[in-house]
Amino acid sequence: TAAPTNILSALGTIAPHRCYGHGVEMTRHMLNERVLLVLRLFDKINPDKLTLESQFAKDLGLDSLDHVELIMAVEDEFGFEIPDQDAERLRSPEDIVQYLCDKLDVFD
Amino acid sequence: KLQSSISDPMTSPPPQLRSQVIALYKNLLYMGRDYPKGYAYFRDRLKSVFLKNSGVKDPDQIKVLIGRGEFVIKELEALYMLRKYRALKHRYYEKDEATTSATTSSSDKEAPTKTQ
Repeated sequence: TAAPTNILSALGTIAPHRCYGHGVEMTRHMLNERVLLVLRLFDKINPDKLTLESQFAKDLGLDSLDHVELIMAVEDEFGFEIPDQDAERLRSPEDIVQYLCDKLDVFD
Repeated sequence: KLQSSISDPMTSPPPQLRSQVIALYKNLLYMGRDYPKGYAYFRDRLKSVFLKNSGVKDPDQIKVLIGRGEFVIKELEALYMLRKYRALKHRYYEKDEATTSATTSSSDKEAPTKTQ
């Protein structure tokens, strides 16, 4: 069904689902978009410098405390908690997307 | 203790202290979401306090600072419980002059003092 995915990509954060029903169909592209949106909205990140490969500490100049806040924002967007030891390995948007793909069973 | 301890392998404190500090920071951020003066205000002050202490390397000193952070969390919990109590009291009970004057004298405190 094409229509729901278009609405989702436009609205970004609203993921309608029924309890016990099939969740939203997620693709890697959609995850990329959502993660980049969350990061762009984060006030410590300069949206012009943001790409999928940009490293938080090296390219975007975030320190470890900003990193904590950033992971919290990702947790809020996707609705599940990311343990600290996993979080410290996520050093770029690409890492985050890969981690989410692993957790959410997205294979493409 | 966060950035400086990663780069210096010789005298850096044990890594479990580092993860304790990160967990403390995360918990404080969660608590700060309900802060009356706003999340941004709380977050900026919290960050500056953590950064100010980031050079500390002595594990005992770090544990003292972590203890202080946990105390702040308890204070925030107490503050929020008090605010909820007052909100409900205000909504459902008539204002009584005697109790109002007795309880609003010293406490119009907005923030638990974050010393250091």
